[in-house]
Amino acid sequence: MSGKRILVVEDGITMRMFYQDVLGRAGFTVEEAANGVEGLEKALLGGYDLMIVDINMPKMDGYELVSRIRREPSLQAIPVVTISTEAQDADASRAYAVGANFYIVKPADPVLLVETARLLTGAQP
Amino acid sequence: MTNPLLARFIPEARELLQVSASGLLKLERNPTDETAINEVFRAVHTIKGSSGLFDALALTRLVHAAEDLLGEVRSDALQIDSSLVDMLLDSLDQVGQWIDELERRSALPADADGVAHRMATQLRQRLGAQDDAPDGGEPADGPHEAAPLGADPAPIEDVATLPPALLARLPAAACLDAFRRACGGQAVHLVRYAPEAGCFFNGTDPLQAIQQVPEALALDIAAAEPWGPLEDLDPYQCNLHFSLLTAAPRPEIEQAMRYELDQITIASVRPRDFVRITGEASDGPIWEDFREAASAFLAAGRHDELRQAVSALRSVAGPTLWRRQALDWLEVALLAAEPDPGLVAALVAAAGSGRFDPVPAAPAPAAPAPAPAPAPQSAPQAADSRQELARSVLASQHRALEQAGYDADRLASVGTVVGNVLLSLGRDADRTAIQAAFEAAREARSVAPVLSALSAVLDGTPLHRTEAAPALPAALPQAFEEAAPVAGAKEPEGRIAAKSLKVDQAKIDLLMNLIGELVVSKNALPFLAKRAEETYASREMSREIKEQYAVIDRLAQEMQGAIMQVRMLPVSEIFDRFPRLVRDLARKLGKRIDLALEGEDTAADKTIIEALGDPLLHIVRNSLDHGLESPDERRAAGKSATARILLKARQEADSVVIEVQDNGRGIDPVRIRAAAIAKGVIGQEEADRLSDQEAINLIYRPGFSTAAEISDLSGRGVGMDVVLTTVEKLGGQVSVSSRLGEGTTTRLALPLSMAVTRIMIVEAAGSLYGVPMDMIVETVRVPRERIRMIKKAETFVLRETIIPLLRLSRLLHLPDQPRGEADAAVLVCHVNGRRVGLIIDNFREGMDVILKPLEGVLTGIGGYAGTTLLGDGRVLLVLDLRELL
Repeated sequence: MSGKRILVVEDGITMRMFYQDVLGRAGFTVEEAANGVEGLEKALLGGYDLMIVDINMPKMDGYELVSRIRREPSLQAIPVVTISTEAQDADASRAYAVGANFYIVKPADPVLLVETARLLTGAQP
Repeated sequence: MTNPLLARFIPEARELLQVSASGLLKLERNPTDETAINEVFRAVHTIKGSSGLFDALALTRLVHAAEDLLGEVRSDALQIDSSLVDMLLDSLDQVGQWIDELERRSALPADADGVAHRMATQLRQRLGAQDDAPDGGEPADGPHEAAPLGADPAPIEDVATLPPALLARLPAAACLDAFRRACGGQAVHLVRYAPEAGCFFNGTDPLQAIQQVPEALALDIAAAEPWGPLEDLDPYQCNLHFSLLTAAPRPEIEQAMRYELDQITIASVRPRDFVRITGEASDGPIWEDFREAASAFLAAGRHDELRQAVSALRSVAGPTLWRRQALDWLEVALLAAEPDPGLVAALVAAAGSGRFDPVPAAPAPAAPAPAPAPAPQSAPQAADSRQELARSVLASQHRALEQAGYDADRLASVGTVVGNVLLSLGRDADRTAIQAAFEAAREARSVAPVLSALSAVLDGTPLHRTEAAPALPAALPQAFEEAAPVAGAKEPEGRIAAKSLKVDQAKIDLLMNLIGELVVSKNALPFLAKRAEETYASREMSREIKEQYAVIDRLAQEMQGAIMQVRMLPVSEIFDRFPRLVRDLARKLGKRIDLALEGEDTAADKTIIEALGDPLLHIVRNSLDHGLESPDERRAAGKSATARILLKARQEADSVVIEVQDNGRGIDPVRIRAAAIAKGVIGQEEADRLSDQEAINLIYRPGFSTAAEISDLSGRGVGMDVVLTTVEKLGGQVSVSSRLGEGTTTRLALPLSMAVTRIMIVEAAGSLYGVPMDMIVETVRVPRERIRMIKKAETFVLRETIIPLLRLSRLLHLPDQPRGEADAAVLVCHVNGRRVGLIIDNFREGMDVILKPLEGVLTGIGGYAGTTLLGDGRVLLVLDLRELL
């Protein structure tokens, strides 16, 4: 067990379950938020080693969420992975521009997801 | 269905489909409704994203096509209209059917691929069709490509640039031939095939697979990842990417590659990519002249003269000359009915200048799809996925920092990531070095130290030479094991269950019945207490039983309340079907109707909600059919052309009230009377006696229908009488009010719940009867002298209101009990909209019962709502005051 905590911000309930399943099995503690606003609220409570943020969400989208996270002094050091179904370079560039640390295309390969989470949290396999 | 992820996806998808459908209807009414388009887009987008987790490629494709179309609508590139909404709704319906199929069989039907292709093509045709219209200003994206794009849509990648390696393999003649086809509107496709690294193990021969594609023009095979040192090579892993150029249409390609569809992309190739000119250099004023003349013709759109000029010059220029060859290409390009101006201009310039500058494509073509160097997706396929991924992550940090420049806010997370990656790889030395670089960067307020340190890590010290490498072979299979359950997991059900529970309705119904029995059984306790006191003379025992009864009574009531809550459903369950229904019917009838919903959150028992669907449907259909006029009629009557129906729900005390209002022509009592007489529902005299309101109520009589012609909507042999019967069976009431020329309102009032009825037991003529509590306003004892006779009828005054009195025993045709001078026990009831006092012999206790309807020969007896069992086993008749009075 890595003991690392991941906050998944994603509006699709199936996708949330997917993250729970894949990352939970790899030993991560996964918590969920269903939209950007909820994600920011939870993130501010602190204690996460990584955030996985969906781009297309109601209320506050992923870009907005990431840029707000980067403006929060308590959240600036937290690694953020953005996930989107859009494979275009422009989407990835935009995510990096607002402050994401990595960009994954949905549906994410489980191995890639777990490995990315391990690398970004410094967890050992 | 064993896959819990799929079990979670199905209800989610259904909900999202519902959201999309209602959003589309909103959008149809108001195409500029931004909230609606965003809502629909997001819903469809989420379905697409989640569906990608399952083996449902056809579904994903169709949803993807819909999403693309909605994306265009959202960015105002495409105007939404009714036919578009129709197409989208049809597609969503199809997706809904597939969801049902996934639920039943965990797989899509065999024809799904074909259906998805057909529907997606239709959707994309709209995309292609309107795409060009507003963007006519883009010269290079001319009609050449629009034609094959519309006819032969590419779900994954629309237009591809041709990789030079592939072009080099194409013989010059084949090049010109492909160019001719592409210019003529027949798409030439580029198929890119990236087989899984482990494909050899599932019996796939990638080369053989790609060779199945018909009409191949050229094939190129390249390494997916650069070949490493020979000793590291794993011959059992496929490290090949295939690119194939083919003249076959897309369906044939898909058919040939049907087992590899998820690993291929198909794209049409732009004609200009085929242009390849060779030959000897030459010069002369003739070329300059040609260039001038040709440019002028081109600018003026005089293609015929341009063609003549080309052909004239071709006939005099030597065939080995470079410029002459440029003319050959130009001639082919001009063969098309609508030549691509950008391409033609470039070729004219080539012939004029002796140099071919690739046409600057107006929208820069998307980068080749598979595996641009740092794309993280391709990484896990390779054997050293972890190292590659780490590289990719670090490279991303490098790039992001480079772009962002010095920004302390940004540096923090990059520091965490880089530190963690190195920590994870066990490269402690590098980690220390990088940390120092970050310190330096903060001090110098510049990203330069970090960038160079990162570059050093990325280039200088190759990551896979570290001591962490040996751990890798063990790490990977483990990761695969961990990830494998996604496809067919069983275990994580515990995790889901903690959040919400999906329960079979039958189980809830059983629970409900059991609680009903419990409620009735507990009624035996007061009788037991009475017996303890009277028969066994144990007052002590009687008191204890009563105390216990109070506890059980409270618990039973709470339990009942709790289970009722479980059974409560919002009215939206039935309301939600109406927007679509009304829209479709309105279009069929040629009427314009605006449907508004109010109070969808109002909740009522599942039984009520379910039973309400049909009557409501009938009322709405009736209103559409008979109540609402056609736009012309409405205009003639001075109304707005668009009619309005309002479905409104609200809770009133213990009942849920649903109103259907329309602003149509209203019900004409005169016509109703005439129709009723003609149909023999009533006689002439009776008709004359009826008030207008009573005449309107005739529509609820069996066999009544005023429709001059039987339409396929309401005229299905079911009259409004069915509405009345259904609603009354549920213990509800129906009323209609109508103003001629202004509209009709139908009002349904139903109990919130029908499982348990609270009654009061009363004595009359020596027997016990039950009266439903919801009819009782209050109980009073009236002194004999205050009972007055008005017109031979007994009445009394209650708080300044005259209340007529009726004797229950007389209503039941039973002999009066002489009561002497004692006060009369009066039950004040609210029945059929008025107050009535019922004189009874005595009041008894209240009680919760489950009503059993009268059965068999007793069904015909009026005045009784049903029976129930008393605690001592006696049968209690419960009165139906509405019928009795």
